[in-house]
Amino acid sequence: MSIGRVEFRSVWKKFRVGPVNDRLRDVLPALAKRALGLRPGAAALAAGEFWALKELDFALGPGDSLGILGANGAGKSTALKLLTGILRPTRGSCRTVGRVGALIDVAAGFHPDLSGRENVYLQGAIMGMPQREIARKFDEIVAFSGVEYFIDTPVKRYSSGMHARLGFAIAAHLDPDVLVVDEAIAVGDAAFQRKAFDRVRTLVQREIPVVLVSHQLDMISALCNQAIWLERGAVAHRGSPAECIAEYLAGTRASSAASAGQRATTITEVACEPKLAISGGKTRVALRCEIAGRPSAETVGLRIRSAQSGEVVFETSAHQQGCALPEAGSFAVEIDLTLNVPRGLYVAEAFVWSYSAGREIGAGPSARLEVHAGPEFDGSVQMSPAFRLRELTA
Amino acid sequence: MQQPAQTTETTSISWREDLATIGRDLVTFRELLVQLTLRDLRIRYKQAAIGIAWAVLTPLVVVFAGWLVRLALGSLGGAPAGSTLMAGIAVKSLAWAFFVGSLSFATTSVTGNLALVTKTYFPREVLPLAAVLAQGVDAAVGIVALAIALPLLGVGAALAQLWILPLVLMLVAFTTAVALLSACANVFFRDARHLVQLILSFGIFFTPVLFDAAALGPTGGVVAMLNPLAPILEGLRLALVEHHDLAVPLLAPESGAVLWTPLYLAYAALWSLGGLVGSALLFHRSEFVYAEYV
Repeated sequence: MSIGRVEFRSVWKKFRVGPVNDRLRDVLPALAKRALGLRPGAAALAAGEFWALKELDFALGPGDSLGILGANGAGKSTALKLLTGILRPTRGSCRTVGRVGALIDVAAGFHPDLSGRENVYLQGAIMGMPQREIARKFDEIVAFSGVEYFIDTPVKRYSSGMHARLGFAIAAHLDPDVLVVDEAIAVGDAAFQRKAFDRVRTLVQREIPVVLVSHQLDMISALCNQAIWLERGAVAHRGSPAECIAEYLAGTRASSAASAGQRATTITEVACEPKLAISGGKTRVALRCEIAGRPSAETVGLRIRSAQSGEVVFETSAHQQGCALPEAGSFAVEIDLTLNVPRGLYVAEAFVWSYSAGREIGAGPSARLEVHAGPEFDGSVQMSPAFRLRELTA
Repeated sequence: MQQPAQTTETTSISWREDLATIGRDLVTFRELLVQLTLRDLRIRYKQAAIGIAWAVLTPLVVVFAGWLVRLALGSLGGAPAGSTLMAGIAVKSLAWAFFVGSLSFATTSVTGNLALVTKTYFPREVLPLAAVLAQGVDAAVGIVALAIALPLLGVGAALAQLWILPLVLMLVAFTTAVALLSACANVFFRDARHLVQLILSFGIFFTPVLFDAAALGPTGGVVAMLNPLAPILEGLRLALVEHHDLAVPLLAPESGAVLWTPLYLAYAALWSLGGLVGSALLFHRSEFVYAEYV
């Protein structure tokens, strides 16, 4: 087994919107040009075309694991399809060296009328596994999938979970030089997901280059050592997974803020002081706000979100805490927080809350907050333990 | 097994390199080709009442149809349907069944595997090739049946029968060429299927299967031979049933009309080889957009 490489050099990919031209008189000239190697202007966009991917650049070698995150339609799957060779770039070059193991739609090659056994051989061949290797690993694959009893039943009679598990089991027994994962770990029950996750982690630990696309942000922070946030085909941020997730979360908030309705309060700035603290330590978050127009049932709030998982770990508002805001003008709100949270990267998000409507009506800016391991506790919450020593009289 | 490193630059690649890539890909993915062929055979004969017997039954029906046509023509004053004629029809029907069967399964081979084409990478050539191979297994069963039937129809062995080897190669090459072309065309235009359906239904009237090309008269016979399949089918019949050495021209005894010339062989070889290279290149060069068009 060897370790592969992946190289994307300024990759651009163009797609067409709407129906494809399916008339002979449209396609024949285009096809002729393609066959002659005269690709029509790869740099320009014709009517009805868009860039699914713009200028994507990365190189992965041994020990690199890249997480790609972004909203639906950001170009994540396109990037993976370019990597696996299903698609070819419009401009630039993608190069992969070594056998690519793709955990993407792992049961795509299954034929419903064939038995599980026949499908294992078929799907294995589709994934590029030699027959002898499949024969050798067959029992292992079947045991991993947990469908032993039904292995000679046509897969059309399988439940969707069994179907997906068998597909994943085959893919998991590839010995890839490069691994590509697209949400495929999220199949089966909790126990199977755990097995699948462990399998990917083993490959990461073997220093095989991994590209992982997932909406499960904690998966990316757990498995990757670098990340790219794609937005409408372009790289919006690249860096460590936690950093990327923080930027991604802040970015998606900023775009949803624009759609919020009318409000009198605006939050112009958020800052944490210090930006770097320890578990159990303290920080002060300062919000600069402006209230214009008529006073209304509005207040400002603060939310602390984990950049690892995207989960909200704490949320409060000035109203909840009994702090009344002035009726007009500029002011600052300072919030002292005790960071009873595990170490990691967090995002402090400010928002405007309407207590008459009972919902958030506007997103404010956000700030990053880094929490390092502290001396007082380890784990996820501070339980304020009280330790007492009692002598036992025997 | 190593998946070939693939690079895409905007520069154009020469056709020689493309052919080399196709060859390399097929070697790398030969096991996939075998598995897909097995799959096609299995689904064809699973939950089937008579199974592999279809491989013999299909050409047999064509032979029977030919016999009926001959019988009808015979009553109009033509030659009666003798056993040599029947043997000729049997040989050509088998070849024809192979051609139309391959074409029929190959046409939808790419579009019918939507999930595979859009989700996984492999050289797309294997899909129509597997369809042709699966049909080849059927044809092999037919050949065994034919080997039993021919002596019963009074056809003996002769050295000239060795001509069937290059002819079978040409038939396979030409069939593969048409299979690749129609599979590719069907990705881009779904009405390619209808065109293929027309060929499957009516092609037998434009190809000398039930009749001999010479039956169309001196000029008609030559025109009929322009169909690349015609010289292959006629050659198979002449070599196998008539024991004719295909390197030698054959003239009709009374009229002197050309029934066979070695040029026909060259013509068919040109179509087979040229067609195979051309359609393989076309298929290969367009296969990278299949995932976008399918």
